[in-house]
Amino acid sequence: MSKKIKKDYSRPLDVIVVEDNQVDARILESMLLDPPTIAKTLKIANTLSSAIKILEENEIEIAILDLNLPDSKGIDTIVEISKKFPKLTIVINTGAYEDELGLEALSLGAQDFLLKGKYNAYVLNKILRYCLERKRLEIELKQAYETLKDTQSQLIESEKMKVVGGLASGVAHEVKNPLATILYGVTYLIEQVKMDDDKYNLVLNNIKEATNRANGIITDLLDFASLNKMNRTKSNIVDVIEKSLSLVHYQISKNVIDIVKDYEVDLPLLMIDVNRIEQVFVNIFLNAIFSMEKNGKIGIRIHSSFIFDNKQALPSAAKDKFNPEQKLIIVEIDDVGKGIPENEISRIFDPFYTSRRGSGGVGLGLSVSKNIIENHGGSIVVENKADCGVIAKLIFIV
Amino acid sequence: MNCKKVLIVDDEKGFTSMLKLNLESIGAFEVKVVNESKYALMTAKQFLPDVILLDIIMPEKEGPDVAIEIRNDPTLKNIPIVFLTATITRDEVQSQNGWIGGNIFVAKPSSLKELLASIESSIAVK
Ligand SMILES: Nc1ncnc2c1ncn2[C@@H]1O[C@H](COP(=O)(O)OP(=O)(O)OP(=O)(O)O)[C@@H](O)[C@H]1O
Ligand SMILES: [Mg+2]
Repeated sequence: MSKKIKKDYSRPLDVIVVEDNQVDARILESMLLDPPTIAKTLKIANTLSSAIKILEENEIEIAILDLNLPDSKGIDTIVEISKKFPKLTIVINTGAYEDELGLEALSLGAQDFLLKGKYNAYVLNKILRYCLERKRLEIELKQAYETLKDTQSQLIESEKMKVVGGLASGVAHEVKNPLATILYGVTYLIEQVKMDDDKYNLVLNNIKEATNRANGIITDLLDFASLNKMNRTKSNIVDVIEKSLSLVHYQISKNVIDIVKDYEVDLPLLMIDVNRIEQVFVNIFLNAIFSMEKNGKIGIRIHSSFIFDNKQALPSAAKDKFNPEQKLIIVEIDDVGKGIPENEISRIFDPFYTSRRGSGGVGLGLSVSKNIIENHGGSIVVENKADCGVIAKLIFIV
Repeated sequence: MNCKKVLIVDDEKGFTSMLKLNLESIGAFEVKVVNESKYALMTAKQFLPDVILLDIIMPEKEGPDVAIEIRNDPTLKNIPIVFLTATITRDEVQSQNGWIGGNIFVAKPSSLKELLASIESSIAVK
């Protein structure tokens, strides 16, 4: 893994000095610029806000930072800077009496601290190089850790899927046969036994209803497991969404829900399995409908984008998945319902997670949807909105 | 009345007896049941049905193997076969209009109405 990089201790650096004390700034400036020069770029800022502005506008690799500035004191300074610029290497420049502050700064993301008056250009140069190298390793380590975490969760995910998949077709066969028996038995009784007592009919119809419901669940599970058999055609996403809307028309009008559409015109066609994608939208619409009281509102926004020209529009979780030349279609569906409790939100894609167990929820809607979307190479994110309600963002690759 | 002969081959005894009851009650079918698929060919030869309803997953001999035997038998080869299966979904069946690889499929469970429609269309095609 570790590449041998030739360490070049004379490579000139891009540096910012953040220091409100003119004398201290001057000392650093001469150490950095007098031959042998350490810095090829040197910016000097005397407040935190001007430093942030400079860092936003320039390629700077290392900051020498005094913690006590006119507009920011102590630890806050470093917290602010390292949060805004996670890749920046930070070295603290402290007064002799601030020893402890310096130590605390290290735990907050600074690489080292210098004691004013206790170093010369030679020491400064060495420290800056060490800090850069340490920071580089730290970033590498973090990335390796993130990759590892991702890979691990993908592995768990695909293992889970295999188990569910295997289970599904086994269970389907074992359960559907007896269900078929019950269904035909009840059908026979309903047809043949003409009874005057309404109670018998109620019983029979309840049995039939329950059988159909059980079958529905098993069918969902089977769908979940058999996504490889997709039937994709070039389709217009707007048509698919309109069709899905018409399938939930009854619930929409019953609950007097306002549908607000914002569709970009001339969207490119997508290669999708229309039935499956319809299933996804129906799920999402129903989730939105069930989360709201009467007179709610559902917004549907469809637009195309490159990750590139519209980073803002992409959900953060999806950002790294796509390449910048890839044209995307993004569908956002939001409601004004009760939202999802923050401590539950990580579970909503789990099979059988539902908060509506009592009222007919099975908890397969989102897990099946996620599976379908990911089988299309897209991604789905469901989040709480800042004010109220939930937004589901679906990203399709064109 | 012109009674159609239906042979049901399925290892699920409860299912076959319920289905037999339903079909017979309509009055348009004469129904025979085979619960052990190894006897399917022999029974078919004696009974000479108009249509065979064939389960896919069965112990010993699976549905497709039975179908091959029937297709290879000169006296039986033109009898339409409707596959009954619990391992595909109704959607999958519908998306292919009930036809998969030249055969009619019916998902289990399906309503009696759907099953009847499949039986009728299979006989019509023949
Ligand atoms: N728009 C939403 N607003 C509030 N909660 C939501 C929303 N969408 C999903 N949820 C939460 O996520 C849970 C899981 O959703 P999912 O669609 O997977 O299952 P479900 O709707 O409960 O059951 P079903 O299998 O019938 O779809 C829901 O029970 C609900 O708690
Ligand atoms: Mg749902």
